[in-house]
Amino acid sequence: MTTANAALGAAKPRRPLKIRDVFSRYKILALLLATALIWMLFGWLTDGDFLTPRNFSNLLRQTAITAMLAAGMVFVMVSGEIDLSVGSFLGLMGGVAAILDVYYQVPVAVNILIVLLLGAAVGLFNGVWVAYLRVPSFIVGLAGLLAFRGILIGMTDGATVAPVSPELVFIGQGYVPRLVGDALAVGLFVILAVVTLRSRARRRLHKLAVPPMWQVALQLLAYALGIAGFMWMLNSYYGIPIPVLNMLLILGVFSVVASRTVFGRRIYAIGGNQEATRLSGVNVRKVKMLIFALMGMMAALAGITTTARLAAGSPSAGSLGELDAIASCIIGGTSMRGGVGTVHGALIGALVMASLDNGMSMMGVETFWQMIVKGSILLLAVWVDIMTGSDR
Amino acid sequence: MSEYLLEMRGIVKDFSGVKALDGINLMVRPGEAVGLCGENGAGKSTLMKVLSAVYPYGTWEGTIRWEGRELKARSIRETEEAGIVIIHQELMLIPQLSVAENIMLGREPAGPGGFIDFEALYQRAEALMRELNMPDINVALPVSALGGGHQQLVEIAKALNKNAKLLILDEPSSSLSKTETETLLDIIRGLKARGVACVYISHKLDEVQAVCDTVTVIRDGTLVGSAPMADMTVDRIIAMMVGREMQNLFPRQSHAIGEVVFEARHVTCWDVHNPARKRVDDVSFQLRRGEILGVAGLVGAGRTELASVLFGSYQGRCEAEILLDGQPIRVRSPLDAVRHGICMVPEDRKHQGIVPLMGVGHNITMSVMSRFVRGGFIDEADEMRTVEETVRRIRIKTASPMLPIKSLSGGNQQKAVLSKMLLPRPRVLILDEPTRGVDVGAKYEIYTLIHELAAEGMAIIMISSELPEILGISDRVIVIGEGELRGDFANENLTQETIMTAAIRTDAARRA
Repeated sequence: MTTANAALGAAKPRRPLKIRDVFSRYKILALLLATALIWMLFGWLTDGDFLTPRNFSNLLRQTAITAMLAAGMVFVMVSGEIDLSVGSFLGLMGGVAAILDVYYQVPVAVNILIVLLLGAAVGLFNGVWVAYLRVPSFIVGLAGLLAFRGILIGMTDGATVAPVSPELVFIGQGYVPRLVGDALAVGLFVILAVVTLRSRARRRLHKLAVPPMWQVALQLLAYALGIAGFMWMLNSYYGIPIPVLNMLLILGVFSVVASRTVFGRRIYAIGGNQEATRLSGVNVRKVKMLIFALMGMMAALAGITTTARLAAGSPSAGSLGELDAIASCIIGGTSMRGGVGTVHGALIGALVMASLDNGMSMMGVETFWQMIVKGSILLLAVWVDIMTGSDR
Repeated sequence: MSEYLLEMRGIVKDFSGVKALDGINLMVRPGEAVGLCGENGAGKSTLMKVLSAVYPYGTWEGTIRWEGRELKARSIRETEEAGIVIIHQELMLIPQLSVAENIMLGREPAGPGGFIDFEALYQRAEALMRELNMPDINVALPVSALGGGHQQLVEIAKALNKNAKLLILDEPSSSLSKTETETLLDIIRGLKARGVACVYISHKLDEVQAVCDTVTVIRDGTLVGSAPMADMTVDRIIAMMVGREMQNLFPRQSHAIGEVVFEARHVTCWDVHNPARKRVDDVSFQLRRGEILGVAGLVGAGRTELASVLFGSYQGRCEAEILLDGQPIRVRSPLDAVRHGICMVPEDRKHQGIVPLMGVGHNITMSVMSRFVRGGFIDEADEMRTVEETVRRIRIKTASPMLPIKSLSGGNQQKAVLSKMLLPRPRVLILDEPTRGVDVGAKYEIYTLIHELAAEGMAIIMISSELPEILGISDRVIVIGEGELRGDFANENLTQETIMTAAIRTDAARRA
């Protein structure tokens, strides 16, 4: 039976890589390059003010909230759904955190725990509507977008809830002590090195093409320089902001969930072909419900962080946050059709969005222009992605 | 002018260094039917995409002459205007629109102000149906109300409305029943008489033999040969396709048949969209250990619905008593079924079988992920061991188990889907059209595998529209017709005629 399908086993001849191929294969690289270009542009337009350690620290803190939403949104979108309620829900959870803190003096740790669990519970509720009651997620999200904002305004009488306790403010405005920060950075490098080497060994074990050792060394060097540069910038100001640390932790945990757990694998399978997944004996509904629960929890964390950062619970907090999160995912390579997307991509997407906000604000560009520019960039990013796509 | 309507010469199509087509010639005379044969991946579809300008002029080498002039089409629109119309394996009809609207789609007769002139629309559609000798079809009905054969007919009418001189039919009978196929072949004969040429792509060589004047065989992107059908036999075509003589299409391996393991009683289900209509009506049967049960019937008879009820995946209302080892079990979802040791390989590989962008390995292990979990995480080394073992055992040909499954040929994809449903070690395996869209070589391997599994004691239910396959593989055959059980035969001296008669029996009785 060897003659049948002989064509398949045939090895493809090597050919020179074109720039377009490199970009379609290493989308993240292209994205990082685009980010660097944006930074350089703003650095030039603001006479270097954009590139100061202080602004770098601010920029990352700005990124963190969108990134928390985007991390949850990646899973939602990879599974082929969407959640439009997260901006309003962020506001609502931020409001709950503020009320518990200001009116009931609930200790911060307990407060956070309550709000996160509440977030997961409401996310679960959304998930039941989508997965079991089969209402399209677009509609469930739209309903939540209205209802959650309504609850928030009703709960706060449309007024700001302040002043928030300093302990809660720390979650949004505090910094990691420098020594701890440095230790974490070193730890991160060690983990990256181990993971890189192990995956190389594994690929070799399965007789897959492995990059030459010098390339791996170069990659590790790039990691080291990246982390060192990152720490140097942050340490030149006050160190790692707490929200940034949270964001990085989420990045780590979510990436591992995506690649190393059954839950993560199922998310991609469902997005890739829901029917095939269901017929393989997978409880598709349960997985979807849990994805929404996770999304709710992320929105809650983003809500707490927002309240802490503003030092107040604002009835308008998180407005249009869902769109920033979705845009971040899409810029970061998540497919609207499901099945494709990465957590780190979405986080870089969030960084791009925050860079645009931050840079244009520094230049004193009016808000309406900022909105126009962000909209255009989103459109362009997706167009470029389609143009360089491998399966056109 | 040359005697040929179409002359394709020296066609070479290169996909980033891999030659999918390497110097193919294809000639078609006016009013001639040319059979294009080759295994999956031989390059048939690529050749047709070159012809219909899905790959525009300039992206391939060679020449195409159409009615004596060189054709340099850059879009499907241009080839359609020239009179070359392709009808894809998956029909491109809009189910909610009427037959007439589908036929005239994009060419609706418009009155003043851009309003559709429905009078003219229906008249034109009816005229086309008369030309196709199908005056009974109500062109005002939505397409979804028609059967697969008649839907195919709508596609052909649509092509005729575009003044097609050459029709390309890509596996037109893959979802048609025997009688529907006959209708289709008659239509093609009628078209030939009217001077319309056609290229008939099919794995079903008896159809090619029945309707084609010339046959062209390609293998691995190269031309094997082209000859008048009169000089060819099915055996010879197969030999040319696979590059060797095929001694036996169906392997035979004796296997012991044991006690009853599975029993379905009073399986009944209702249509998802039309709750008044029964799709399966009170079907009961037993299945023994090591037995291969063929399920025959016309397309649309309710075989797939029967299977999906047993597997817990039927979307509409259904009732059934299912017994495993004499104990009643509840199967309300595929998850329940897999837990009880009932697995199913669905009929529609692309939509129900594979997750196209995921790796071959990850597709295979999808059904048994929890087996590889250590402390909450997937032990990828353990998973890979299972994958490699399976790939070797089932002989899935892939350069690496990490490649996306969509890059594999149909036969290998099918073997991967089969592997996925074998990993839970089922006691009862349901195969719905296990060799659809699979080339001859891979078919043989799948048959061999089915026999091996039966020899290991697995009870197998195999639904198939290909009667030779049913007769070649099964120990016992049940026949479903219009949702009812019409026959239960031991496969001894059983003939295609017996099965067909059982499948259409009441139709015949009713007409009489």
